[in-house]
Amino acid sequence: MLTAVLLVCLLVAFAFGAPVGLGLGGIAMAVGYLTWGEGIFNIIPSTIDSTYFSFILLAIPLYIYMGQLLTRSGIGDAMFNASQLIIGRVRGSLAISVIGVCSMIGAMVGIIGAGIMTSGSIALKPMLERGYDRRLALGVIMAGGGLGILIPPSVPMIMFASATQNSVGRMFIAALVPAAISIVCLALYVIISCRLNPERAPLGTGDEMKMTPKQKVLTLRDGLFSVLLIFAVLGSIISGIATPTESGAIGVIGAIILAILFKRFKLSMFRHAGFETAILISVAMWIIFGATLFSNFHLLMGVQDMVASFTQDLGLPPLGVIIMMQLIMILLGFIIDEFIIVLMCAPLFTPIAVSLGYDPIWFGILMILNIEIAVQTPPYGFALFYLKGIAPPGVTMSDIYRSVLPFIGIKLAVLILCMLVPELVLWLPNKIMG
Amino acid sequence: AEFNWRFANLYSRGTAFGEVYQGMADNIEKMSGGRIAVKMMYADEGVSTNGIFGAVKSGLITMGAPFQPMHAGEMPAGIVEVGLPGGTADVGELMDLFYEKGFGDILDEAYASYGIQNLEPYIQPPVYIITKKPINSIEDFKGLKIRAPGAYGKFLRNLGASPVNLTWGEIYTALSTGVIDGSIGSNLIDHRDGNHVEVAKYMYRLPLAGAQVLPVIVNQKAWDQLPEDLQAVVRAATAVHAQDQLTKSRAWEAQAVSDMQAKGMEWSPEPSAADREAWKTAGAGLWDEYSKEGPFSARLIDVLKQDAN
Amino acid sequence: MLAILFRAYCLSVQFIVRFVGRSVSYLVPLLAFVVAFEVFSRYVLNRPTIWAYDLSLFIFAYIAALGGAFAQQKQAHINVDILYLKVSARTRRLFNLLTYALAIYFMLVLIDISVDKLLEALKYNYRRQSEWAPHMHHFWIMMISAGGLMAAQLLAQWLEDIYALISGRELFAERESNNDEY
Ligand code: NA
Ligand code: NA
Repeated sequence: MLTAVLLVCLLVAFAFGAPVGLGLGGIAMAVGYLTWGEGIFNIIPSTIDSTYFSFILLAIPLYIYMGQLLTRSGIGDAMFNASQLIIGRVRGSLAISVIGVCSMIGAMVGIIGAGIMTSGSIALKPMLERGYDRRLALGVIMAGGGLGILIPPSVPMIMFASATQNSVGRMFIAALVPAAISIVCLALYVIISCRLNPERAPLGTGDEMKMTPKQKVLTLRDGLFSVLLIFAVLGSIISGIATPTESGAIGVIGAIILAILFKRFKLSMFRHAGFETAILISVAMWIIFGATLFSNFHLLMGVQDMVASFTQDLGLPPLGVIIMMQLIMILLGFIIDEFIIVLMCAPLFTPIAVSLGYDPIWFGILMILNIEIAVQTPPYGFALFYLKGIAPPGVTMSDIYRSVLPFIGIKLAVLILCMLVPELVLWLPNKIMG
Repeated sequence: AEFNWRFANLYSRGTAFGEVYQGMADNIEKMSGGRIAVKMMYADEGVSTNGIFGAVKSGLITMGAPFQPMHAGEMPAGIVEVGLPGGTADVGELMDLFYEKGFGDILDEAYASYGIQNLEPYIQPPVYIITKKPINSIEDFKGLKIRAPGAYGKFLRNLGASPVNLTWGEIYTALSTGVIDGSIGSNLIDHRDGNHVEVAKYMYRLPLAGAQVLPVIVNQKAWDQLPEDLQAVVRAATAVHAQDQLTKSRAWEAQAVSDMQAKGMEWSPEPSAADREAWKTAGAGLWDEYSKEGPFSARLIDVLKQDAN
Repeated sequence: MLAILFRAYCLSVQFIVRFVGRSVSYLVPLLAFVVAFEVFSRYVLNRPTIWAYDLSLFIFAYIAALGGAFAQQKQAHINVDILYLKVSARTRRLFNLLTYALAIYFMLVLIDISVDKLLEALKYNYRRQSEWAPHMHHFWIMMISAGGLMAAQLLAQWLEDIYALISGRELFAERESNNDEY
């Protein structure tokens, strides 16, 4: 009942064009005041604690800043220029390089917001400048950025493993094959879609083709250094120099050093990057704050008990139960973020799945694949708002909605594939870890 | 029901500890004949684990089982209550301290000053350190980077280690890549649940704090609204809960150790007498420091000092 | 007369919000340096700091909260514009009156609670729970300011809309461009 009231208010406020974070917070506090009383306002300090004081979320500003520095210094472009020099004759090749870069970013970050906003900062401009179809470009960023929680390290996977007492290492390894399948499917979609609609991805007839040999060498050198920066950041994680969150700061320092080396460092560039980052951080954090307030109010009113009783005693066959759980998680994606979905659903659902004879690691990977979809399903998903935040002016919410649809289809296909063929998930960890 | 309470704890749904708190909630309902209904809020369901103390204080949540080291900045006396590093593991001694030597009364007063009713505390198993390399002598702690917040960090610094601040979600990855060489867990069960053994397999034998005393707290206004008979019911339920925690948490701790041993956990070698002495000294220095944190801390530590003489 | 008052209010709010918004953007590089310094200090010097963790969270929160009003001024906050873009300019103003009022209400609640928390922080000397244990009072002062700036900015836009709806004229002959660069 309350859920229905909240969702109706939410839809009205969104239809009227309320700023997302402020609207969510305002509705929670208004409905809360009417149903609970003034006491509900005390939910604010605890919510501030779990949002503004979350070290995990610190990855968002650090990675956005790195992305902004790479873009504004032209280093990010250099990476794509170089890739175009090499594979520019293949239609859609830029989008494919973007998927490659997003996968590497996915390997650096462990949360969705940082994945999408970093990928968007670096890769959106080069695609749009070369005349790529706007929807294709946005969709590729969304799909690629979402890989952040599927490619290890991944914070939701750590949370799942802990909540259900499973091995994190096993989860990480089990995610590799589904991640590879996702990447290949995304690339295939881009190639096929560009074959069918050539106007969506102009061929690389740009400046790269008219370059002198010396310019070509320089372009390749710059591109190589930019890719090296990404490997350096990854290396700092793998070699134990920094945690995934901190590695964003390593990336910032690396980007500044590269810009100075390439003589592209200008104080104004530095200032603009900080300025743009500050606005993006504010936008992202006010959404996270308002949305967390909304979901905390919902949880205090007991939405979790509803979910628990709903899943029990439905009298479905085993696979039906699994499918029902997937549907519930996608629906939950409408109102709560990736961490809370795991915190709530992992302990609720996993024992049921195990009692039905399913492997918990397999179920965990399905959950991660599901969350990737849930947070970018229209009309209301965190990832959609992150993408809008990073998109150039003039991109409307309907552009965003339409751009993500085919990619949601692909991710859904991967989810269903892994659901039907558990070996895709379990083969590698069983092979490596026994 | 006549009284509708919300009770926040630190554990997720389906965990063993979560069940114990649920047991207390059910007991309150049953023993009050349904006059008090208690709705359980598991970890981060509506209130972050860091926010339980504040939420009970403000009345958003009626009842809470907070982990006091998370609230060291709000109520410093809670750190002394939970047990400063180096404290005793003897349950009898702890009971004596709380019920005979005045610890309990001072804490009741301390909580009351925040508008909180303090109920029967309970005991959870001690804090241990897991490391990537075995600790053969206490010298081996020198230069090790160990994730240990607050008082535990200060204790380890006294031993020459470098305490590191890390958020819980990053411990596993940080241990696995070597950002840190070791980590404390809030008890052995936590180490198992965090899968730390996969990436660091040596457990040090000496616990950082002998046993942890944790409070059950209720918002004062909500408490005052209860008639006396219901107050007695809630008190009785918390007493049952304290006993439950004591017996069950021991069994679970043993279970956690054998689970971890099955995955390759090993104990570091038995510490020498000199090591034990150094360990004690590292903790003793903290008393004076924490005494300065506030009037209630000072009074609690005075009791500890008298007790030691 | 009213128009002059409205205009004076809007312009001064815009000025202050822009000033604060630009100022906090200078904290962004500082944030990155603090985190990078912690990595350097821990990995190279083997001496992790006790302050970088809390300091980086504080800087993050300051940027995120205080930058909100400026993002609102620049219309950078995300909204679902499916219906919003289809209706007439007049209807859009009506929508704004409602949604901004809701947002202002939210900000007033935020300010109210932050004042409570500030007084509590001063009374009990609240700090962070870490070894460094920095004070919390400044954080709540910051939250009150962030909420206040956001409310003031929303009110300025609300006044512009209601003035235009009632008088049929724009409050500012040439509506201040939201894309003024840096
Ligand atoms: Na990742
Ligand atoms: Na969604």
